[in-house]
Amino acid sequence: MCKTLKLCVLTAALAAVLAGLAAAADVTAVNELVDRSLQWNGKTVAIEGEAIGEMLPRGNYAWVNVNDGTNAIGVWMPLADAKKISVYGDYHHTGDTLRVTGTFSRDCAEHGGDVDIHSDSVQIVKTGGAVGHPVSGGKKAAAAGLSAAALLAALFCFGPRAKRR
Amino acid sequence: MSGVTGIKRQGSAALVGYYTGWVVLAITLLMAVPLLTSLLLREWSAALDFVIGMSVSMLVSCLLIACGRAARRRGAQLDWKSGFAVAALSWLVLMVLCAIPYRLSGHCQSFLDGCFDVMSGFTTTGLVLTQDLDHLSEGLNMWRHMLTFIGGQGMVVLALGFLGRHTSGAYQMYCGEGKDVKLLPNVKNTARIIWRISMVYLLAGTAALFVCGLFIGLPPLQAFLHGLYIFESSWSTGGFAPNTQNMMFYHSFAYELITMVIFILGSLNFGLHYAVWQGKRVEMAKNIEVQSFVITSFLACALAAAKLSQLGVYTNAVSVFRRVVYNVLSAHTTTGFGNVYARQFANEWGDFGILVMTIAMLIGGSACSTAGGFKGLRVGIVFRGLVADVRRVLSPERCVHIEKYHHIQDCVLDDAAVRSSGLIILCYTALFAVTTLLGVWYGYPLAQSAFEAASATGNVGLSIGVTQVSTPALLKVQYILAMYLGRLEFLSVFALIGYVIGGVKKTCARH
Ligand SMILES: [Zn+2]
Repeated sequence: MCKTLKLCVLTAALAAVLAGLAAAADVTAVNELVDRSLQWNGKTVAIEGEAIGEMLPRGNYAWVNVNDGTNAIGVWMPLADAKKISVYGDYHHTGDTLRVTGTFSRDCAEHGGDVDIHSDSVQIVKTGGAVGHPVSGGKKAAAAGLSAAALLAALFCFGPRAKRR
Repeated sequence: MSGVTGIKRQGSAALVGYYTGWVVLAITLLMAVPLLTSLLLREWSAALDFVIGMSVSMLVSCLLIACGRAARRRGAQLDWKSGFAVAALSWLVLMVLCAIPYRLSGHCQSFLDGCFDVMSGFTTTGLVLTQDLDHLSEGLNMWRHMLTFIGGQGMVVLALGFLGRHTSGAYQMYCGEGKDVKLLPNVKNTARIIWRISMVYLLAGTAALFVCGLFIGLPPLQAFLHGLYIFESSWSTGGFAPNTQNMMFYHSFAYELITMVIFILGSLNFGLHYAVWQGKRVEMAKNIEVQSFVITSFLACALAAAKLSQLGVYTNAVSVFRRVVYNVLSAHTTTGFGNVYARQFANEWGDFGILVMTIAMLIGGSACSTAGGFKGLRVGIVFRGLVADVRRVLSPERCVHIEKYHHIQDCVLDDAAVRSSGLIILCYTALFAVTTLLGVWYGYPLAQSAFEAASATGNVGLSIGVTQVSTPALLKVQYILAMYLGRLEFLSVFALIGYVIGGVKKTCARH
């Protein structure tokens, strides 16, 4: 009895892990989609990446550009889904990480031949946030030293005394 | 005797340095714009990058000016060769100096990559090695697009217009930058006209893109910045964009159309713009360059569209226009905006599509414009020369026929014009061949290697995927060289090389 229970628990755990792995393996790199676009055309794919730039609303839908580190692609999603995204990536921010499932097309008839994904589902896997850009002491010192030297040089070169010489 | 020429040479070398110093100074001062942008947008780290870059450039320009001042006071004059050398040297010195903020930003993995991107900007090429564009500071974005804008008009042209009080040899420097049309008798005024034309278009174009940007959903500040960047990039036929996806970021037909109008305008001769501004509308139709451009671009678009439709790569008319015509025109005007992925050219377009693109890129835009390539003027002249020769063979011996072509004014098609155009085309072809060869040496397929080589030589900037961080360093250097030579149209670089060899010979002779 105990043994059977243990076996059941182990099997369930194994199944869960495998399912998780399978889900992770489902994600396709954007570069892979682009590189072999003919094979992927029209297929349902899943990508996971950072929302970047801005949401570009078009009526009840919106474009969200997603960069997964290999490349970036436009995702056509319902406006309601896009509105759930709180942070978009730029210099000061890391955008929300999205997991998008949808249909990939290399020559989207609806969007003038765009390479895009029309979403079936959009999940926010990880919320983004502000990125700090700490400045090293060395950089500050270099900037101070060099700008002082440049000012002196400019004074020497173009100052009132340089004109008379 | 040898002593006298020695002094003269030293004097003129110092003078080349002196004028180079002024050009460097002009660009150094302009670094204040990205610095200010970074400060306003609280990008402190990026701001310091520009402080450092500006300071180093200032030191270099002061050094060059201080060293050359004595020679200038001795009354040394700038001859043709030196004027050309100034243009060639300025571009090289500035490539290194302007790359400093790139490298410090951490988005370039080596200083070579930074130099590559700066040269790509100056020459209005648009090939990119800077990584993770989506998280770039606005300061660096401003700098990238300013470089391409300044490069299109010409750094020397800029320096002449705003700093050139002493105009000895100004015309030589101006020509050295690959611009040879004198719009006005005075070079300084010509330089100013070129900048004035560009600034007027800058205002109009940025406004148009700003409004369109608002419509496609960009917030006002972003709409303005994107509008400015994309204008600078399209007017200069550059091809940089602030995001990884280039033109695909916007998902907008209207945005693409506006850029298309701007880059076609940008690829036209400044002489033509000036003539039209002066009310000479007919110039538009009569000009040999416009005719040449219309014919070659129509042929390229038609051939590419027909083949890609036949292959079934693009199925409906809108896709064909947006993907094929846009990219072919972008290639032909040497802009390099792309709204398909680099690898799509390689994987989907087929050899025929790649070949048409390669030829269009090599032909390029107009002479004395922001575009690269052989230039329509030269293609037109050589073609007319060929026709004239055939006619000469076929007609009775005594009949003397004078061929003419129209470029701003009616010009006689003489052998000298045909020869010099032919020689430049030959130089371009040789450079293209060598660059392709090196790519093939490193194991890239011939068609892809040729595409990328044409893109660099013609200052286009479309990539088929060869240009990457992992590309061999020597190939990157070759691309830098191809962009540089292609942009300056060889002569001034030859002048600079002549200088260096002359100097080396002198030094050797002395010892
Ligand atoms: Zn679509």
